[in-house]
Amino acid sequence: MMRLSSSTIFDSNVAGMGQQQSLMLKTQQQISTGRRILSAADDPAAAAQALVVSQSDSANTQYTSNRNAAQSSLALAESTLQSVTNLLQAVKSTAVNAGNASLSNSDRASLATQLNSQLQDLVGLANSTDGAGNYLFSGFQSGTQPFANTAAGMSYFGDNGQRNVQISASRQVPSSDSGADVFMRIKNGNGTFVAQAGSTNVGSGVINTGSVLNPAAVTGDSYTIAFGGLTSQAVVGNTGTGAISTPTVTSQAAVTGNDYSVTFTVSAGVTTYSVTNTTTGLPVAGMAAQPYVSGQNISFDGLQFNIKDGATPFVTGDTFTVTSPGYIVTDNTTATQVVPATTGRLPYVDGQAISFGGMQVAIQGTPASGDTFSVAPSANESIFKTISDLVTTLKTGTPTPANGGGTSLANKLNHALTSLDNSLNNVLTVRSSLGSRLNEISSLQTMGDSLGLQYKQTLSQLQDVDMTKAISDLTQQKMGLQAAQQSFAAVSTLSLFSYLK
Amino acid sequence: MASNIFTAALTGMNAAQYGITTTEHNISNASTPGYSRQQVVLSPSIAQNYGAGFVGQGVDITGVKRVYDQFLNAQVLQGQTQASYLSSYNTAISQIDNLLSNSTSGVSVAMQDLFNGMNGVANNPGNVPSRQAFLGNAQTVVNGFQSIDQQLTTIASGLNGQISNNVTSINSYARQIAALNSSIKLASGTGTALAGQQPNDLLDQRDQLINQVNQIVQTSTVPQSDGSVSVFIGNGQALVMGSRALTLQAIPSSSDPGKLDIAYQSNGQNITLQQSDLQGGSLGAFLNFRDQSLEPARSALGRIAIGLATSFNQQNQLGQDLNGAPGGNLFNAAVPQVTPNANNSGTASVSGTIADVSGLTTSDYQLKFDGTNYSMVRLSDKTVTSLGAGPLSPSAVVDGFTVNISSGAMAAGDSFLIRPTANGARDIALLTNDPAKIAAAAPINGSAALTNTGTGTIASGTVNPPPSAAPDPAHPLTDLNLLKPVTITFNNLPSTYSLTSSNASIAADVASATPLTVGPTSVVTVASTTNMVVGAPVNGGGFPPGTTVGSITNGTTFVAQMSVGGATNPPAPVSGQTLQVGNYPYISGGVSLSNATVAGSAVTVASTANLVVGAPVSGAGFPAGTTIASITNGTTFVTSAAAVPAAATGQSIQVGNTFNGWVAQISGAPAAGDVFSVGQNSNASGDNRNALLMAGLQTQNLMANGTASLGALYSQLVGDVGSKAQEMGATSLAQNNMVAQMVTSQQSVSGVNLDEEAANLMRYQNAYQASAKAMQIATTMFDTLLSLGK
Repeated sequence: MMRLSSSTIFDSNVAGMGQQQSLMLKTQQQISTGRRILSAADDPAAAAQALVVSQSDSANTQYTSNRNAAQSSLALAESTLQSVTNLLQAVKSTAVNAGNASLSNSDRASLATQLNSQLQDLVGLANSTDGAGNYLFSGFQSGTQPFANTAAGMSYFGDNGQRNVQISASRQVPSSDSGADVFMRIKNGNGTFVAQAGSTNVGSGVINTGSVLNPAAVTGDSYTIAFGGLTSQAVVGNTGTGAISTPTVTSQAAVTGNDYSVTFTVSAGVTTYSVTNTTTGLPVAGMAAQPYVSGQNISFDGLQFNIKDGATPFVTGDTFTVTSPGYIVTDNTTATQVVPATTGRLPYVDGQAISFGGMQVAIQGTPASGDTFSVAPSANESIFKTISDLVTTLKTGTPTPANGGGTSLANKLNHALTSLDNSLNNVLTVRSSLGSRLNEISSLQTMGDSLGLQYKQTLSQLQDVDMTKAISDLTQQKMGLQAAQQSFAAVSTLSLFSYLK
Repeated sequence: MASNIFTAALTGMNAAQYGITTTEHNISNASTPGYSRQQVVLSPSIAQNYGAGFVGQGVDITGVKRVYDQFLNAQVLQGQTQASYLSSYNTAISQIDNLLSNSTSGVSVAMQDLFNGMNGVANNPGNVPSRQAFLGNAQTVVNGFQSIDQQLTTIASGLNGQISNNVTSINSYARQIAALNSSIKLASGTGTALAGQQPNDLLDQRDQLINQVNQIVQTSTVPQSDGSVSVFIGNGQALVMGSRALTLQAIPSSSDPGKLDIAYQSNGQNITLQQSDLQGGSLGAFLNFRDQSLEPARSALGRIAIGLATSFNQQNQLGQDLNGAPGGNLFNAAVPQVTPNANNSGTASVSGTIADVSGLTTSDYQLKFDGTNYSMVRLSDKTVTSLGAGPLSPSAVVDGFTVNISSGAMAAGDSFLIRPTANGARDIALLTNDPAKIAAAAPINGSAALTNTGTGTIASGTVNPPPSAAPDPAHPLTDLNLLKPVTITFNNLPSTYSLTSSNASIAADVASATPLTVGPTSVVTVASTTNMVVGAPVNGGGFPPGTTVGSITNGTTFVAQMSVGGATNPPAPVSGQTLQVGNYPYISGGVSLSNATVAGSAVTVASTANLVVGAPVSGAGFPAGTTIASITNGTTFVTSAAAVPAAATGQSIQVGNTFNGWVAQISGAPAAGDVFSVGQNSNASGDNRNALLMAGLQTQNLMANGTASLGALYSQLVGDVGSKAQEMGATSLAQNNMVAQMVTSQQSVSGVNLDEEAANLMRYQNAYQASAKAMQIATTMFDTLLSLGK
């Protein structure tokens, strides 16, 4: 049995009660704060982990508000572009309407007025601002009005910037679109090339939009389709002074587009002529050594003309050249003729496809000799230019029979309609991109919410106190302390001195 | 014979009286700390032989001894030193633990809010209120760092006070022990009549004083033959020798005047005690706590503050503010604290600079000079980095910082204490309160001409870190030519492009970065399949148009026998002239191009036809190591256009990683003649590129050599301090319980049990009464004898 000193009895009891009290205080603090970890020393690993998790949680909350910000910008842009779509559809129906042949100039002028006001509405939409006065479509330059009229037409004053928003830890989405991409950067024509009638055309040829046959063969050069031929001329140096009439076409189907020469032979007082196809180098069948009768019609290959005697009769070797009508295609970039490969022209057939350089266009109507059509690589044409060009066309394009009977208007309307379709497509493409971004945001929103819930659960597991356990601990510690106090009181009064009298 | 009865009874009564007195002494001192219970040592008096045998003569009082077990006492002493150490350390570290653990108002939350604020700026870059909110968040972070640092400094100065108090106490105890040594020596009465008796209470007092010293610092004792005890601290430094006591002093450390060292005076000189000599006890705890917990915590906090401030500054400097100016510093970042050793004899004045926050540690460093070489010692693990014979290179980065002798020279043996991050949290400050100064935008912007016919698009571009060669002196984080406008024009065919600029210095930049000249006989070897470009400044000499090479086969060597314009440098550009910097192949897959694709030098051919030798990666092109026999003026380069494949959709090019300090990616299929330009960003109030990058700093592993983010470092700090506090709390509790056991054991021997003393009282009372009875009996016997005579 160990001897005990009296002070040990007091000291150890006091120390024991002190320890119990401090445990109780800690449990009580845990209950009152609701936290298991009062300071990092209570569970250093969990405390450090909790800091990391609460940072992630806070970042996740921030991403939620980033997503909300992006969503509201995108929704605003989407609703603006919805209006733009409606407006463009209205413009398109006006343009279709303007093609109605029964319209008078004043009818078209009033359509032009209507289009002009629609154009102003469109400019207003393109210059939309958000609630804070920032322009939606000016790229990074949100304080700069993106679209304004200049001498060169409607110009873009913003930049190409697209603002991104961090919508999750690893994902950024663009929350804005540059006005240049929405309204300006729209390829005209069919996207690869644009076919247009020459401005001085007098014939009634109307060119279509065309299509690409072989993308690999597309050169990116610009081409001219030039109509010509149906000419006749005396060769310089003829002895005979007789003249040739301008040829006429008797059968369009028989026209070859080739060049011909008519050569006289005087033999034994008999004047004959022969016709040679100079393009092929072959004599024209049935036209060799024909007896010449002044003023008699000469017909071959769908052409008809006559040659009349002059003061001096024809001698052997006198020659006239005759060309049949058709078109040639020239590559302007390389300055070479691509169609046909030989001299002469290709005969024109109304509506028949004209192919070169991997591309194909068709011309309808009757182009006049000297009319040209250009085929150039597609360039960017802004929505504003398309509409304002259309307005100009409708205001000024008074068609007269003399200059092709309204084909200039038809060609321009064709071009405008194609461009309007392109504009509409471009706006719809941007809108579908907006839509997919909005979709992504809302799917991330759900993920972010569940992630946030998970972070909060982890945090709670890491640092929150288990109330049931803490309260039961407290009760137990209280009982222990009470027992220690009572037993100490009992033990400390025991002393032999009490019995010394 | 009868008188013997009196004598014996008297000795019995005396002994009982001694017993009672000693018992009373025990009872009185029952609660006196350090008191050992005393016992009267009795022995029977020497019996007298009366012939009939030896008759007892009573009892002799041999002495009064204290009940004392040296082994148990030594155990308690040892245990208490350790317990005192642990509990002092625990108390001290709990302060930091509580300070850092405050989860709602701590730096951690403030940093989080700072990044959230930057996200707010990114969402609304032109909005002044959101910028203002960020500045508010920034101020809160700064305040958070400063307030914790302030409290750590307060703890440090409190610690200095406690260290001084401890030293005062040790001195006082040492003097008392020395005084007691003399008293004990006297009282033991060596050589006098008193010799052989122990002055028990003095011994107890001395033991108690040694115990007190031991609770401050661990000591060892050696008893001397004259009764005195020598007390030693550390490795045998005598604190008390006989009646002499050493006086310790707390003096500012020679290496760091902000810290107190313990020293003693010897021959008028202060001799500093090594810290390893001052183990155990509260003093040992304070010194260890200061060096192992407090200062590292302050440095760790400072490292986070420096990391935060510097990272934000650097990113902000890569951006453009709301006024269109290049971004500046948002925060003040602390510089390393450099303290010369007080014993330095040289004249050097040393300054430090933070070079790379990711390399920073929380350690302190010592810069040493041995007369020939400089070296840097990382004090946490004593790693030595040699800095050579000097002069110290500004680019010699040790753990993310550099040092520089700004004036004077170090003498052999001189040293400087470098604390790179110690003042980080104290010195962090917000440098601007102008919301416009937040550089949310990037300084450059790419744009595609509206007249482009291809489908190529250009990204807005990002800014690169500066080249080591030519940073912009005004904005050292960016390239000199960053804002110079550059035009990228696609050639025909669009598989190559050319860079042009109306800015003369860009050509100069290219010239300086990559020499445009090839010496008369130099051998040019194509380094790789990466497309070699032949092309030239329009007004350069170089190859004339139509330079021809007969045939190029794999493995031949390019011998360029020419000089450019007859000079080693291209002609100086003329103002307003358009300089063609060169032609570059358009490459699929975003392969980066440098300004030169020929090893070390660009081979240039002045050709209006933009002759291209080599081909896009997808083409056949030149294989690696392609060489060309000889090129002379007037020969023609024959290349087959068919060898250059057409650009395919989805291809992208990256314009030189180093070009003007930016990267802008072009993707899609540009057409011949398409023009893209990259130049200074303007009016870009809606640009948030740089703000996104700043907000992204949150998750980047900026610190600890790219292994930890700022937030992770903070949680690591909290975790480190927490686990040290936990360790100290747990071991302190265990040690206290162990000491309680030891004390109980020691007290079971030396402690006073009052019940036992009560019993002793009764025992001695009974003995006294019995002896008195014997005396009464003897008196009665005498009376009987005397009455016989009547």
